[in-house]
Amino acid sequence: MNVAAIARPLSRPRIGTWLLVGLPIAALCLFFLHPLATVLWRSVTDAHGHVTAANYLRLFDDPGLPRAALHSLSIGLGTTLVTVAFGLCLAMALHRSRLPGKPLIRGVLLLPMLAPSLVIGLGLVCLLGRNGLIHRLTGLPTDIYGFWGLLIANTIYSLPQVVIVLSAALERTPSRHYDAAASLGAGAFRQFLDVTLPRLRFAMVAAAFLVFTETLTDFGSAVVVGGNYRVLAMEIYSEVVGQMDFGMGATLGVLLLLPALLSVALGRMARRRQDAGEGVVGQPLVPAKQPARDIALGAASVIALLPMLAVVATVAYVSLVRLWPYDPTLTIAHYLDMPEGYGPVATSLGVSFAAALGGIALVFALAAGLRSLPPHWARPLQFLATLPAAVPGMVLGLGYVLAFNHGPLSTWLYGSAAIVAACSFYHYHAQAFLTMQAGMRQVPGALEDVVSSLGGRTRHVLRDAILPFAAPATIAGFFYLFMRSMVTLSGVIFLVTPDLGLASVSVMRLDENGFLAQAAAYAMCVVLAGALALGAMRLALYVLKDRRHVA
Amino acid sequence: MRPYRHIVTFLLGFAVAQGVAHAGSITVYSALESDEIATYLDAARKALPDIDIHVLRLSSGDLAARLIAESAQPRNDVVWGMAVTDMQEPRIAALLTPVHGKDIDAMPAAFRAPDARWFAPTGYLAALCVNRQALAERGLPMPRRWSDLGNPVYRGQIAMPDPASSGTGYMVLSSLTANGSDDAAIRRMVALSRNIGQVTLSGSAPCKLARIGEFPIGISFAFSAMQSIRQGYPIDMVLPEDGRGYELEGSGLMKASTHADDARRFLDWTASAQAAALYRGYKEIVAAPGSLPTDEQRRAGLPADLVATLPVRDFAAAARERTSLIARYKRLTR
Repeated sequence: MNVAAIARPLSRPRIGTWLLVGLPIAALCLFFLHPLATVLWRSVTDAHGHVTAANYLRLFDDPGLPRAALHSLSIGLGTTLVTVAFGLCLAMALHRSRLPGKPLIRGVLLLPMLAPSLVIGLGLVCLLGRNGLIHRLTGLPTDIYGFWGLLIANTIYSLPQVVIVLSAALERTPSRHYDAAASLGAGAFRQFLDVTLPRLRFAMVAAAFLVFTETLTDFGSAVVVGGNYRVLAMEIYSEVVGQMDFGMGATLGVLLLLPALLSVALGRMARRRQDAGEGVVGQPLVPAKQPARDIALGAASVIALLPMLAVVATVAYVSLVRLWPYDPTLTIAHYLDMPEGYGPVATSLGVSFAAALGGIALVFALAAGLRSLPPHWARPLQFLATLPAAVPGMVLGLGYVLAFNHGPLSTWLYGSAAIVAACSFYHYHAQAFLTMQAGMRQVPGALEDVVSSLGGRTRHVLRDAILPFAAPATIAGFFYLFMRSMVTLSGVIFLVTPDLGLASVSVMRLDENGFLAQAAAYAMCVVLAGALALGAMRLALYVLKDRRHVA
Repeated sequence: MRPYRHIVTFLLGFAVAQGVAHAGSITVYSALESDEIATYLDAARKALPDIDIHVLRLSSGDLAARLIAESAQPRNDVVWGMAVTDMQEPRIAALLTPVHGKDIDAMPAAFRAPDARWFAPTGYLAALCVNRQALAERGLPMPRRWSDLGNPVYRGQIAMPDPASSGTGYMVLSSLTANGSDDAAIRRMVALSRNIGQVTLSGSAPCKLARIGEFPIGISFAFSAMQSIRQGYPIDMVLPEDGRGYELEGSGLMKASTHADDARRFLDWTASAQAAALYRGYKEIVAAPGSLPTDEQRRAGLPADLVATLPVRDFAAAARERTSLIARYKRLTR
């Protein structure tokens, strides 16, 4: 069966495949590659538009750069190790254990994704800072600023996304392999090593890639808890926003693109099918009873989730006291005294819904289409699809302004909600795409072959073979894009207009203008609105699914 | 029933509704704080009822980056309250056109450009936000001068905006070192930088850290310090005796403005006596002659003769020297 599965993609791709791949790639070129190229072009040109290598030569001259690069690398590797290890525990707890309270785990994992970027930094400072809650309660000399603060912040930020990618690979597993392994006398740990891990190989590499590249490009937490631990992303911010030197900012941006080359290896793995795709459909797995495993996974989950819960709870507390940390009288006054009102929350909900809906359709088509393209086409496209993970939001946002502010598209696109939705989606394109890919690897190759050899067209393959198996990943990807678009800030800050207020921008403004409690209150409202919207959509999905079963 | 159609219609309508410009309306980009903008706009809309004023508030760094990025086709008519040093940046200065008006031309000469490309009704002053309580807990002396901050007792106790990323940070560096020409002052800055526990991207962030007691001393500006006092935090505002660092908040008219007459009327209003009276509620430096600090400002420690005692600043040189001064500071401190 494996031989057939490997040979299958060599057959000529059909028209449907090209259509499936064509639209997402065209959109990717227009809304990602084009703005990116526009801004990166600045790294090789001077003020008069002449080509020059001066910016790259200046890299060697910058006194802070080697150390910042080293810092970025260590924090990137550290975060990747910690998040993938904890992410694996959490994904196993969700899909390979009999732990009670799985909805609780899922719920807590949503918090960091629903929360505006301010929340993690602010929560950590108010909890573990020098004058934080823990210090005030216990007198311990807590000090979050520096490497460890950064590591905790980045881990909290990235963990949910690792769990999403790993979960996509663990879902819909037939029990057949585990039964076979057990009957051959393999113990639980042996089964994990020989059956579970190989299935997870692609998803783990994909998750590690995402965390590593994203930690390099994110400066949100470095700003708040980094102390004197300077990282590359902060240098980009300094060049672009502090010194208005787009050329140098773009040059550093190019430097951050280098780790994206790692994704080439991902592309190669995506083509290999030995460690994925079942030959045939089977009975879904029901985890066996194993108290030792459940206790270990439960303990790891608590260690991973407790900080998330504590951080968000701290911010909720800050929003409810009169004057943190000096007057602990409880009050809801900060929720009522909101100069900009809650209109931006509604706008953000609309924009995010559009970004997630359009985005997930494009990503689904791309991931499905790539399955049947020959490698020399699929590899470069795979690289392109994962490249957005390595682009800092600010660089992308700046690219959008430079690319769409003038030119044929500007009149109907620039300043619209659509461009904000596009920027939000393409910023998180890689995450959604890799989740989808990890999910689609669960599609039994044989099933796909059967449908198409029975004369099924591409759309039949999609409907009857791919969609049923990739449905969990599709839904997870949709919600991921929705939540991220609700709170993303670094890119869209360049695209907001006087009449287009966004919730994440309102939170940032309140904080910038010195209204800490109101910023915390607004952030909590964004979390709540996101959670309610998520609940409503889940309900709608449930009703839809129910109806289809009846029909 | 086709719910999808409704969704698509809604989204399309939503997209089209944005970005439609009206006649008689002006778009203003501003780096002033949201709450003061709201107060000024209330008055401006009453004084100029026929103009529809749309304001986008951005931090001063984001504002400068956005103006440059949009320079091929500017989207705003007016720049309102932007660091004058940033407005001197050649790529931004090139976007502005001289603006005149009854009240603008009546402003003191020190607060407007000789070529009329900018005028600055207000400004901000470098100040220390000192958390009395946190300072006492650590048994530290109250700093009075910039040179005190280089004292090793303050190691790790100071939050300061990064001169490379924050206008306020660069304002402190450039105005205290006479744009880098004062070597003794540069050495003082380097000694200070060794005591920094957290660098921040924005100018108000150090004061916010001081408020909640994370760092006893935040290098920031007077507005932030006075806001902290008003909100009830145990903050003292210290205006170091050995140097006054300040920046002016300039306004100007975009060359590409399509509603230049309305924009000019709005700008002239911002230079009016009516506006100056409102500025006092927020600002430490108000250009209007005879404008005195409020009682609250005086209680916080703002001297009555502040504007008269400000040293002359060469904003053009501050803009010109930016790259080299920051590079030098980086080399000395990292």
